[in-house]
Amino acid sequence: MKKYLFVFVLVLVAMVSTVSLASANGGPHGGYSATTDACAGCHRAHTAPGPRLLLANSTYDLCVTCHGSAGAGANTNVDDGLYLSSRDDAPGGANGDVGATNTPDNAPLLGGGFVNYGLTAVSSTHNADGTTAAAWGNGVNRGVTANLAAGNLSCASCHDPHGSPNYRILKATINGNAVAVQQVDEGAAKDYDTEQWGTGMSSVCAACHSAYHVTTGGSGSDPVVAASGGYAHDIDMNYSYGGANVNPEAIGFGGYTLPLAETAPAFGRVVCSTCHMSHGTAAQMSGFAAGSYDPFGPGLGAGAIPSGDSALLRLDNRGVCEVCHQK
Amino acid sequence: MIQPKSDPMELNTNESLSVVETLADDIENVAMEAGEKPFPDNAAVDEAAQTLLELSENDDEAFDEVDEEEKRRRKLLLLLLILLLFLCGFSALFCRYLQQPKPLPDMIIPQAEVHYPPHYLFSFYGMDRPVGVALSPQGDRIYVSETGGERLVRVFDRDGNEIDSIAPPRTRSGERSPVYLATDSDGRLFVTDRLQHAIYMYGSDGSYLDMILMPDLSLSSYVDQHIGGLLLGTTYSYNIFQDNVFYQAVDADEQILPGPRSLINWSPLGIHIDANNTMFVTDVVEDHNRTLEFSVPDEPILVSWQGVDLLKSDFGKSGQGKGEFLFPNAVATDSQGRVYVSDGNNGRISVWGEKREFLFNFGGGPADGALSLPRGIFIDQRDRLFVIDAVGQNVKVYDVSGSEPGFLYAFGDWGIDDGLFNYPNDIVVDESGRLYVIDRENNRVQVWSY
Repeated sequence: MKKYLFVFVLVLVAMVSTVSLASANGGPHGGYSATTDACAGCHRAHTAPGPRLLLANSTYDLCVTCHGSAGAGANTNVDDGLYLSSRDDAPGGANGDVGATNTPDNAPLLGGGFVNYGLTAVSSTHNADGTTAAAWGNGVNRGVTANLAAGNLSCASCHDPHGSPNYRILKATINGNAVAVQQVDEGAAKDYDTEQWGTGMSSVCAACHSAYHVTTGGSGSDPVVAASGGYAHDIDMNYSYGGANVNPEAIGFGGYTLPLAETAPAFGRVVCSTCHMSHGTAAQMSGFAAGSYDPFGPGLGAGAIPSGDSALLRLDNRGVCEVCHQK
Repeated sequence: MIQPKSDPMELNTNESLSVVETLADDIENVAMEAGEKPFPDNAAVDEAAQTLLELSENDDEAFDEVDEEEKRRRKLLLLLLILLLFLCGFSALFCRYLQQPKPLPDMIIPQAEVHYPPHYLFSFYGMDRPVGVALSPQGDRIYVSETGGERLVRVFDRDGNEIDSIAPPRTRSGERSPVYLATDSDGRLFVTDRLQHAIYMYGSDGSYLDMILMPDLSLSSYVDQHIGGLLLGTTYSYNIFQDNVFYQAVDADEQILPGPRSLINWSPLGIHIDANNTMFVTDVVEDHNRTLEFSVPDEPILVSWQGVDLLKSDFGKSGQGKGEFLFPNAVATDSQGRVYVSDGNNGRISVWGEKREFLFNFGGGPADGALSLPRGIFIDQRDRLFVIDAVGQNVKVYDVSGSEPGFLYAFGDWGIDDGLFNYPNDIVVDESGRLYVIDRENNRVQVWSY
């Protein structure tokens, strides 16, 4: 009996030890051996020019060495918010090769771009260049900023370049808060232009913008929620479609669609990323949408949102409202 | 009884003589003590001693003769043994030569050569996040591609003065991304574009000529096929995002054709044209990485670019093993006809033979000259291979004139001052020994010299 128990434990240990973190093929993002040379690709132990012993004074500069618009080391081009190349170029295309990715050539990335998106210069981005520490609603009321615990924002604020079990190597801890994002419906074949995240996607945003992560049912009219900075749209709410509600992912409104977090076949979940992009967007704001008065902004009453700032919204103006509410 | 102290036969000559004399003295002494005369006279004793002495001397000579003979015999034996071994060795070599008769190599007298790194000259600016560089055949035009700002190919003279800029027709900055460049012997410029999935071709004066849409299709031949004959002077352009082909014959209205986007199945990145006008292009389509080899035709407008006749070979595939690539970034050729591919994400240089058979990799591992992220490469006329190590923040130089590459030295380090790099990405060397190094995040080209 002891012999069988010993074998069982051995098998269990072997199975656990083979569970690896997410990694990019041939890249530096995980899957390290005990004597890996990967560390030397980005770090120097004693003469690093940048923090965290990085061979860079800017994390962004390091990341775009592969993920920039040249696409010299990756097909995920975060400068332009494009997935550059697979052979699965178009439905019905001559290649007929779905290859290792389900994303067509030049498909827009779900996270958006830092320089361009939709082939147009972005109108708002997360400032990942290491120059900004302030985050809206970071442990304070909505409409108020506070600095991040870990300092200025960079790519590595949200992504773990060493690999992570989270979707798209998102960090397990961001700004001191635990993050868990399920990755669903995706095996070895990646899909960069269709949401493959499950519940928990909002925890990434809430790690820094906690005041906006309002999950109380009916919070749009709840005075308790209002006390922390005004009424707010319910986040992480289930969205059932069928009947009066159309499927915002497949049907949408006026040709526009929005992604929901994957939960069940008949409904999805409205998360932050349903309406906002994490990297940057080129959505155009005009009229009422081109800047508005924010009564809770800095200086109490003087917090006007900059004119034309698209607040990382996925669609022009308030198209994100119309996809679901269709007024 | 008088006993001899030793057996005389066991002593040498002197000792024997001494013993005999001592014995005679003893006998004489005993006889005198007894009052007798031991021998009739001493002459008999002396005679006996002399006889014994002669006998002893004869024995020594005999012994010496035996020793000499033994030594000579041994020497002879040793000599024969050496000769036998030499004969065996020579016979073995001769047998091997008979099995594989090859001419003996010429005696090569190694020449002492001092290898020293280049020194920094100056930098020129006026570009936004440059990534690629190429020279005109005369070295008087320096072409630089940029991935920031307007995303142009900017043209500079040797002093770093901007003299021109080039952009593909009908594209906005967000629709193009020129990366690597090469020129042919006529001075025509070839530019890979990562967003357009194409290679743009320009004349030596920077005028737009054509696009290579796929390994077997140019834009001119696409139009030619669709309209049944392309007239000289017809202009044409294509943008993959709109997927329409525009063409216009001389003195005619512009026409539109549906584009070939659904057919496009490659993603050209690195490009190199050797002295024989053979063009090498790396393809980084996901999971289908490879290197393509073309003949570059002479026609100024490539209506004859019919593909299969021009595509000579296709070698390598995606992966981390031998003969496999992960984001091959650049190509160079040496004087022995070998092809070098910088295998970016595998952190090594992949070397291929004249028949495009895989030979070996180098640059990986902990040895001197180990690479982190090789990008642009160049081989000069002295068979020195220059490799940009993008995150190593330097240029590594190897001697590839022999059968195996030898690391010579590295120069540069991270920084923003003169002579320091902030993510270098490409390099080209002219015939005068000038090096042009793309310094991406410092937004400049650094000029070095030997």
